[in-house]
Amino acid sequence: MAKRITGTGINRRTLLQGTAVTAGALMAPNIVIAQEKPKELIVRAWGGAWGEALKSGVADGFTAETGIPVRLDFTEDNEIKPKIWAAVDQGRVPPIHVNWDTTTNATISARRDVCVDLSDLPNLKGLLPIAKPTGLEGWPLVNTYSYVYVCAYRPEAFPEGAPTTWKVLLDEKFKKRSALYDDGIGFNPIAVIAGGGTLKDIPDNMEPGWEFYRKLKANEPLLGEDPDFTSWFQNGEIDIACTISVNARAARESGIEVEWTVPEEGCKVDTDGLWIPRGLPENEEYWAKQLVNYALSKDAQEKWCGALGLPPVYPGLPVPADLQGDPAYPTTPEDYAKLVSIPSPILVDNQPIWFAKFNEIFQG
Amino acid sequence: MASAQSAPSLFWRLIDGLEALLRRLVPPKRRGVTGWLFLAPALLLVGILAVGLGYIIEYSFHELDIATYRLKDAYSLGNYQTLIERPVYRNVLWRSLLGAALVTAITLFFAFPYAYAMTRTRSAAMRKFLLIALFLPFFIGQVVRAYGWLIILGKQGVINAMLAGLGLGTLDLIYNYGAVIFGLIQYMLPFAVLLLLPALAAIPEDVEMASEGLGANWVSTFRHVVLPMAKPGLIGAGIVVFTLTLTDFAMPEILGGGTTDFVASAIYDSFFQISNAGLGAALSVALVLIGSAFVALFFSIAGSTTLDIGGEKK
Repeated sequence: MAKRITGTGINRRTLLQGTAVTAGALMAPNIVIAQEKPKELIVRAWGGAWGEALKSGVADGFTAETGIPVRLDFTEDNEIKPKIWAAVDQGRVPPIHVNWDTTTNATISARRDVCVDLSDLPNLKGLLPIAKPTGLEGWPLVNTYSYVYVCAYRPEAFPEGAPTTWKVLLDEKFKKRSALYDDGIGFNPIAVIAGGGTLKDIPDNMEPGWEFYRKLKANEPLLGEDPDFTSWFQNGEIDIACTISVNARAARESGIEVEWTVPEEGCKVDTDGLWIPRGLPENEEYWAKQLVNYALSKDAQEKWCGALGLPPVYPGLPVPADLQGDPAYPTTPEDYAKLVSIPSPILVDNQPIWFAKFNEIFQG
Repeated sequence: MASAQSAPSLFWRLIDGLEALLRRLVPPKRRGVTGWLFLAPALLLVGILAVGLGYIIEYSFHELDIATYRLKDAYSLGNYQTLIERPVYRNVLWRSLLGAALVTAITLFFAFPYAYAMTRTRSAAMRKFLLIALFLPFFIGQVVRAYGWLIILGKQGVINAMLAGLGLGTLDLIYNYGAVIFGLIQYMLPFAVLLLLPALAAIPEDVEMASEGLGANWVSTFRHVVLPMAKPGLIGAGIVVFTLTLTDFAMPEILGGGTTDFVASAIYDSFFQISNAGLGAALSVALVLIGSAFVALFFSIAGSTTLDIGGEKK
């Protein structure tokens, strides 16, 4: 906290005003309780490069400012969801303080009315419009950065240069040598375009996408999750994959030969966010909000998103040196025009339907 | 020998003491309660499971409301209709049942001679070796073992490195149905051996010798004496391996490459990936019913007292 006061250039009048407010707050017992520091704050996070970035970019800085340790809980995002829902429904204290979640999953939780409203966070002011969740009232969650599901490939398998189209996945040369997420996330809209459809077809006419998947099935792609892609590239199991640029970048930084590109059909761009479950003790909810607020500060956004290699929602921050001009790091409207963005409400409404169809094709 | 005799006597002295205490505390008219008291913890556990199953059954009759991502209040057969109408669930179920049948048959085929060798070997060193070889992978755990197979059978694994070294190219040894079956057999083998051991140990060697003394050769003795007498163990091991395989999650997930899911994966996906607890519950109920039906079929074919746990044999 001291750091922030120094940074604002506080004067005598402000100091006196602040002292008066603090004295008033101390006289109100409920506020005193609300500000009591918890032993720790638990943030659900993804592991590997993701968790390290959150620790160095947000958790360590927050602990340094407040003295509250932040513990990262690496429970799978889909698995923590029902645990939080059950805790809220049953009036129990939720197992975590802050959920770092995909915007789609966070929106689902918001629809279930289990999220604390974040409207009063001071750092929401001045963020890029993408920070605001769509199709929801208020701020049950806040988006913290955007990311791209890139076409990651082994340069050795593409001697003539980066693949220019996703249709290369259908090439028999890549039979059992390609990979997608096991629920189709990140690729469903792209499959529609690669299958001859357009963005306007989504969500009412997904058939071109399903047809593309049927053809792709013959090539027996592997289906997995974030950690799988890194190990598959590392072990030489695959040549090409649709994965988040963070995973490809982490693989490259650990010495694996991986490059990425945005083919002519585009790549899906999405967002992740933070939200706080309802049902926390008042003081813990207060400090959880402070943590989310801190994650939206300039300093935290620069470190966190810089480590991830993703465009933050805080405007005007520098692009990491290795990602200058990278299509997977969109900064201008022209960059975004090459990408495919589907509004969260459409993703949430169609998630079970698209998953069922994806499963039907690949498990059938 | 002295210590071997004193251990049971201490045990029985304790039991006698407990019985004497109960005789003092419980009036003669209430003596029948004693048995139920001993059974109470087990009944409590089964009761909790039954309550959980009751909830699952109840959930299965409610469809998901996408607007709120909660189950609708109205009762409906919609989830069961989905299971019937979507071929993917039939395929996943068929894949799981076929996998369970294959794993059971192959595991029993390998476990039987292993357990037989353990009970009949006269070498203490050999028995110890067989025990260690059996238990070592048993203690490692399923997930670690599956990852071990990824390392051994992967594109850059030991086997493929050897094949490549011999100029034979590489093979796709993982991320297919065969790899899942292989991983499951390796995982189930210790369970089957452990369940077969008591049954085989209970067959006196004299019986086999008598059979051979009466002119039967080794094959006839095995077929007409050993196999029928080992039936309780075979049935027990078969049921355990079949049900564990049918409900397995980790091996298909890790060794299957995402396209050879078993029913447990479909249940997981419904509950966690798409947050549809109603559909997941319907799948769970279907799995319990189908698994139970197969076990019942097993018993009806083999006889209800096959496990040799009391009562007269049919």
